[in-house]
Amino acid sequence: MEDERVFSDICGGRLALQRRHYSPSCREFCLSCPRLSLRSLTAVTCSVWLAAYALFTLFENSVILSAAIFITLLGLLGYLHFVKIDQETLLIIDSLGIQLTSSYASGKESTTFIEMGKVKDIIINEAIYMQKVIYYLCILLKDPLEPHGISQVVPVFQNAKPRLDCLIEVYRSCQEILAHRKATSTSP
Amino acid sequence: MACRTEAEPSRRPLDALACTSTEECPTAPTGSHSVCMVSDFFYPNMGGVESHIYQLSQCLIERGHKVIIITHAYGNRKGVRYLTNGLKVYYLPLKVMYNQSTATTLFHSLPLLRYIFVRERISIIHAHSSFSAMAHDALFHGKTMGLQTVFTDHSLFGFADVSSVLTNKLLTVSLCDTNHIICVSYTSKENTVLRAALNPEIVSVIPNAVDPTDFTPDPRQRKKDMVTIVVISRLVYRKGTDLLCGIIPELCLKYPDLNFIIGGEGPKRIILEEVRERYQLHDRVRLLGALEHKDVRNVLVQGHIFLNTSLTEAFCMAIVEAASCGLQVVSTRVGGIPEVLPESLIILCEPSVKSLCQGLEKAIAQLKSGELPTPEKIHGVVKTFYTWRNVAERTEKVYDRVIGEAVLSIDQRLDRLMSHCGSVTGCIFALLAVFNILFLIFLRWITPDSLIDVAVDASGPLSSWPLPQCSPRDKMNPHSNEDSET
Repeated sequence: MEDERVFSDICGGRLALQRRHYSPSCREFCLSCPRLSLRSLTAVTCSVWLAAYALFTLFENSVILSAAIFITLLGLLGYLHFVKIDQETLLIIDSLGIQLTSSYASGKESTTFIEMGKVKDIIINEAIYMQKVIYYLCILLKDPLEPHGISQVVPVFQNAKPRLDCLIEVYRSCQEILAHRKATSTSP
Repeated sequence: MACRTEAEPSRRPLDALACTSTEECPTAPTGSHSVCMVSDFFYPNMGGVESHIYQLSQCLIERGHKVIIITHAYGNRKGVRYLTNGLKVYYLPLKVMYNQSTATTLFHSLPLLRYIFVRERISIIHAHSSFSAMAHDALFHGKTMGLQTVFTDHSLFGFADVSSVLTNKLLTVSLCDTNHIICVSYTSKENTVLRAALNPEIVSVIPNAVDPTDFTPDPRQRKKDMVTIVVISRLVYRKGTDLLCGIIPELCLKYPDLNFIIGGEGPKRIILEEVRERYQLHDRVRLLGALEHKDVRNVLVQGHIFLNTSLTEAFCMAIVEAASCGLQVVSTRVGGIPEVLPESLIILCEPSVKSLCQGLEKAIAQLKSGELPTPEKIHGVVKTFYTWRNVAERTEKVYDRVIGEAVLSIDQRLDRLMSHCGSVTGCIFALLAVFNILFLIFLRWITPDSLIDVAVDASGPLSSWPLPQCSPRDKMNPHSNEDSET
């Protein structure tokens, strides 16, 4: 079962949330941001080149122009490879754990996996972020030494920063799975 | 207020989440307010203003209002935290400049404060303490955003020295277009009205309160064969530590069975130690250093007489606490102190060593002759005087009045600034107010109000939190107990 809904992030940008229900115990949530738009790419390139051209007319040194070309190319590559995240995925399987994947625009993927045994809970929390106070979804990890303590808080969808309505959607589904897990683990 | 049923405690936050995200969210019933307390001073910092804000908020929540508190970050304590009964506290990461007060540029706090006011749907901003830069900032921004503003003044100022002339000018600017001002005593009201050139009709007097259950007498803790005088104050000039240094040797010489217990810390501690050294009073003068609020009662009950040597005081909480513990109070006749307790419970003296010694001797003589009422009797009288519920009720009346008033429009506000605050200052601040409005318009363009998520209420009529005193177990709800970090 798969469906897609459109939400917005905290700055008003468009976000698409894809939900895939593979089975009652396994769900995947995929948040995709809009791809790098041609307009912003052109705007940045043009401004760098115009600045370089202004400097060139001032100093009459052509190294500036070639440097500008390299800077734009390397900057673009670096941006696509290390900064721009196109998609963030949360895969939750109740018997195994939670997998967080973020795929960069260049195709690079970074994945974190959290065993279900370590997961204490999934919650929505508030934080002060830049000049805003935002809601975010996070996973609480159990402290191995102290059964009631929390060793770490792992924020989810850090890059996309969806708004509360989207977070509630994901939160509910995750809680259903966690509740399902509790029900099955307590009744052998 | 009826308790809700406890059928599915874990589901309740969820339902509330759902409600705020949809359009047909129920609006708060009339008569209940969304109040935002702003002050630089809040727990974990300790003091009168801090406990005032906390206790007042708790009682307002109990009366069904929504209350949040905004303060600056204390060390590692930043982000959003929840206290008892869903009292939400925002610890904003703003730079602290001096004495736990934040630096002010009048503008830098607008984005965050505006975001919080919008997401919490605040209708009344209640700022505390004239020393708090953040409180003044919030008033300024609140007026720019067209919200109702209330200010509580907790301290008295002079008129003569340069620093008070400057603060008084700033206070004039800050309060000239504030809807309502609350003072803690009539002396403080007089002082504030004069300092800020206010219309006395918009100034109310609501005294502080003490929690009488925290300050109960316990005469068994007293030493039978000794007379003990307790002093609890910060050891600073304003609190008259210099007077104390004159009193101690004189009385100790006269009465061999007299002891002093002094609680508190401050720059003047060194001169107390010098006095103790010079007159060899180590066994009779105990310096306890800084005390936590919970320990204050245990120190108070050890004494027979409480001495307050303040040189200026708007409303002295310490003497009410001491009287509530059943001590005979001897105090200076300054500021609002004469209003606080009836004649029978307090001995008032002039702020001089001689007069205070006479007052103390009178108290000691009364004590030795057994003329003083028993501690229980004093406690029974005092506990009816100042309660937080009463304070909250009276504050609520101020809110009811304020909410009906119109907020000044921009041109009225500029007019008011220029006509009330002198031509130069008035024009400067009118200009700053215009900049603030432009900045707000810019912020509204960058992040429109519609993009700001409405926060889930933790207190008030739409609260997703269990009502007060309903179930302690729900406090363990993971939603509420997590501390968020930035």
